[in-house]
Amino acid sequence: MSKLIMRGVSKAYGATLALRRGDLTVEAGEVHVLIGSNGSGKSTLCKVLAGSVRPDGGEILIDGKPVTITGPHAAREHGIGIFYQELSLAGHRTVAENICLPDMPGGIFVDRKALEIRAARYIALFETVAGEGFSAEAVVENLRADQRQLVEIMKALATEAPITIFDEPTSALDRAQVDRFFDILRGLKADGRSIIFISHRMDEIFAIGDRVTVIRDGETVGTENIADTNPAAVIRLMVGGQDELAAGASAPPAAATDRKAAVLKAENFSGKGFANVSFEVAKGEILGFGGLHGQGQSAVLRAIFGANLAAGGTITLGGSAFTPSNPRTAIRRGLAYVSGDRSRDGIIQGRPIIENATPIHYLRQKLQLARPAALAARVKPALEALHTKFGGLSHPINSLSGGNQQKIVIARWLIDRPDVLLLDDPTKGIDLSAKADLFSLIRKLAEEGMGIVLYSSEDAELLNNADRILVFNGGSVRRELTGADRTRYNLYQAAYEAA
Amino acid sequence: MTTATISTQKPGGGLKRLVERYPFLPALLIALVLLALNGLYQPRSISFIGITGLVKTYLALMMLAIAQTYVVYAGDIDLSVGAIVSLVNVVIVVLMEKMGGSGFSVVAALGVGLLTGLACGIVNGIVVAALRLQAIVATFATSIFFTGLALYVMPVAGTPAPAAFWRTYGGRFFEIPFVFYAAILLAIVLYVLARTRLATQLLAVGDDAQAAFQSGLPVTRIRIQGYALCGLFAALAAFCITGDTASGDPLVGGKMTLFSVAAVVLGGSALSGGFGTVVGSIIGALIIGLINSLVFFVGTPSEWQNLVQGLAILIALMAGVLVGRRARA
Repeated sequence: MSKLIMRGVSKAYGATLALRRGDLTVEAGEVHVLIGSNGSGKSTLCKVLAGSVRPDGGEILIDGKPVTITGPHAAREHGIGIFYQELSLAGHRTVAENICLPDMPGGIFVDRKALEIRAARYIALFETVAGEGFSAEAVVENLRADQRQLVEIMKALATEAPITIFDEPTSALDRAQVDRFFDILRGLKADGRSIIFISHRMDEIFAIGDRVTVIRDGETVGTENIADTNPAAVIRLMVGGQDELAAGASAPPAAATDRKAAVLKAENFSGKGFANVSFEVAKGEILGFGGLHGQGQSAVLRAIFGANLAAGGTITLGGSAFTPSNPRTAIRRGLAYVSGDRSRDGIIQGRPIIENATPIHYLRQKLQLARPAALAARVKPALEALHTKFGGLSHPINSLSGGNQQKIVIARWLIDRPDVLLLDDPTKGIDLSAKADLFSLIRKLAEEGMGIVLYSSEDAELLNNADRILVFNGGSVRRELTGADRTRYNLYQAAYEAA
Repeated sequence: MTTATISTQKPGGGLKRLVERYPFLPALLIALVLLALNGLYQPRSISFIGITGLVKTYLALMMLAIAQTYVVYAGDIDLSVGAIVSLVNVVIVVLMEKMGGSGFSVVAALGVGLLTGLACGIVNGIVVAALRLQAIVATFATSIFFTGLALYVMPVAGTPAPAAFWRTYGGRFFEIPFVFYAAILLAIVLYVLARTRLATQLLAVGDDAQAAFQSGLPVTRIRIQGYALCGLFAALAAFCITGDTASGDPLVGGKMTLFSVAAVVLGGSALSGGFGTVVGSIIGALIIGLINSLVFFVGTPSEWQNLVQGLAILIALMAGVLVGRRARA
C-alpha cells in the first residue's frame, strides 16, 4: 500500500487555474522528486498537502485512508512536514526556538531544557557544514541566507513526520551542505520515511531521487523511475508536445539582419541576485529574458531602472554611459519599466484613471499644473492604442480588471515615448485577450524603433515574442537562444542545468 | 561570507550582542540620565520617599505599558487600554461602595475588575483577530464603547474608594511601602510569563504571521490570547490608579493610552511586532514619569510644561534610536 496518494487535486486562484489535475503517489522509504516548469503547479500541490492551501477538488489518501487536510496544524497531525521554499522562520527568534516553533515542548511554560536538547539534535546533523556564527542561540535574522535555509531544513526535520516535503531546499546551499543534507535524506529513507523533493537542479535530482513525477501546466503527466530515465527524457516530458509551438510565425527573424546601434548595453553588470550580466538591445529588437523564476532576471531589470541597487558593471544608454541611481533619472534618460506586480510598482490605488496614466508625463515634461482636458487629449489615444476598456477617465483604477489596469500602467509610458522599455513579467494575472493586445502593441512599438527587454515567467510568451532569448540560471546568463534555437527544449535544458 | 566573519570580530561585536540580547539597554541608559538630572534639580527626588512616590504614581502606566507590550509583540496594537482602565476603575469603586467597603468587598471587587479587564481584552481580540478588522481602528472603536460603559456605571467622577483600599496601596508593611511588594510580585509574574509558550508564540506571530501560520501555529487564537493578557494587565493598571487617586473617574485612563504606546517604543520594542521586551516597556514608562517630574523640578512655567514634555519625549525617542543603531551597527 502506498504511503500517500493524491488524486485529481485542483486549485484555482480567482480565474487562474494553478492546478488542474495533480496526481502523486509516494511510497514509504523513497525520495520522490516533483519537477515542472515555472507555475506548473508543483508548489501548489505541496501546499495543499501541507494544509496552507485548501484544494478545490480531488482526494488525498494516507496509508490508504482518505483524509481532509484543513490547515497546517491538521497536516502535522496527519504526519506531514514541510520545508517552505520561501522559508517560514521568525527572524527575531533564535535558531533553537525556530526549530521547535511548530511544537514547543512543555505545557503552558516552555520546557527550555527539552527545547535545547531537541534543537541540538538537529543542529548537530549539520555541525560540520553550518559555518561560522551558527549556534542554537543565534538570532535567525543575523544568519546568512544558506544558514537560514539550514534552519528551515532542521525545522522540517524536527517535525519527524512520516511524509516530509522539501520545496527547493538547496537553492542557497553550498556543495558540502548539499552533500550533508543528502546523506541525512538517505538515512531517513532507510528508516522508511517518505520524502517529496522539489529541485530545479538536474544533477541533484538524479543524485538523490528514486522516482520522478513531472507536472506540466497544472497536470501530472507522468512518473518515472530515476534509474530508467535520463535528464533529456525528463526535460522532454516537461516540454510535452509543445515544442512545435515555439518560435512560431508571430516572431519575425528581425534582429539578425538589421544590427543597428544598441540602445541599451550592459557589460559585466552585477548586483544583488545577479553577476556579470552582459547583453545588448538593438533599436527595434525584443530581447527575452528566460529561465526559471527568480534567477536574477527581474533583479537585473530593476537595477537598470534604479529601483534596486547595482554593485558593478557599466550600462550604456543610446551611446553614452548611464549610472543607474534611482527611477527618476532612469525615466529622464528614456527608460521605462513595467512590472507584473501592479500593486507594488504600478498603480496608484484608489485614484482616478487619468492620474494613473499621467505621472510619467508630469515628470518628463516637468509639469506643475495641467488642464484635465489637455491631459485627457493625450491620455485617450494612448489608452485606445491598447484597446483599454474603461468607463471614464475620472473613474478609480480599482474599478478595472487586472488586464485593463496593466494597460493603464503601460499607457503612461506611451504619452512620452521612452527609448527602452523594460518589461518585468508584465502579464502576471491578466487575461488572455489582454495579453494578446499587449504583445501586439509591444511588437508595434519595437517596429517603431523602441528597444524592448521582456522577462516573462511564461515560457510560451517568451518563445512567441522575443527575437532572442537569454536564459538565466543562478544569477547569470547561461545561454543565448537565437533563430531556430528558440525552442522550449533548449530553454528548459539551459534553465535546469546545474548552476 | 567574509562580511559575517568580520562583523563578529569587530570591537563593537560584544556591545552589539549585548543590545541584541537586552534591547532595553539604551532605554535604561536614558532613564539613568534622567534620574541623575532629577537628582540634580531636586535632590529629594532620588531619596527613598521620592522614588516611592514615583513608583506609586507611575506603577499604573508601567502596568499599562506591559499590557500594550503583549499586543505589540504580535504586531497588533490596542488603543482601548486607557478605556479599559477607566471601566475597571469605576466598576471596582462602585462595587466596593455598594458592598460596604470591607476587606472582603475589596477583594471581591478586584476579582470582578480582573474579569472585566479580561472580558474587554477578549472582545478586542475577537474583533481584531477573528473578525480581521484593522487593529488601530477596531480598538479605537471598542475604546469608545468601553468608555460608554464606564460612563453608564458612573456618570460623574468623584465617588471615593474605600479607605481600606487606598490606605493599603499607599501604606507600608514592615517599613517597606506596599508598592514595592507589588513591584516585586510583578517582577515574578513577568519572569514567569516570559517563559510561557504564549510569549514565544506572540513574538513568532509578530515576526511573520504567514510563516507562523504555515508552521502550524493557531495564529488567531494566539492573537486573542495576547489581547486577553493585555486586558488583564490593564485591569491591574486600573487597580494602581484607583489606589493612587482613591476615587472613581470614568475618564481617568483615556489619556494614558498613547503614553503606553510611547513607553513600549521607548523601551526598544518594534511596533511592527516580533521584537521587544516587557522590561523595556517598564523602563519606557519610567522615562515618561521621570520626564514629567523633571519638567516640574526644573521649574518650567505651567503653560510651557506640555510643550517641554513633548520635546523631551521626542528627544528620548531619538536618543534611544541613535544609541540602539550605533550599538547594532
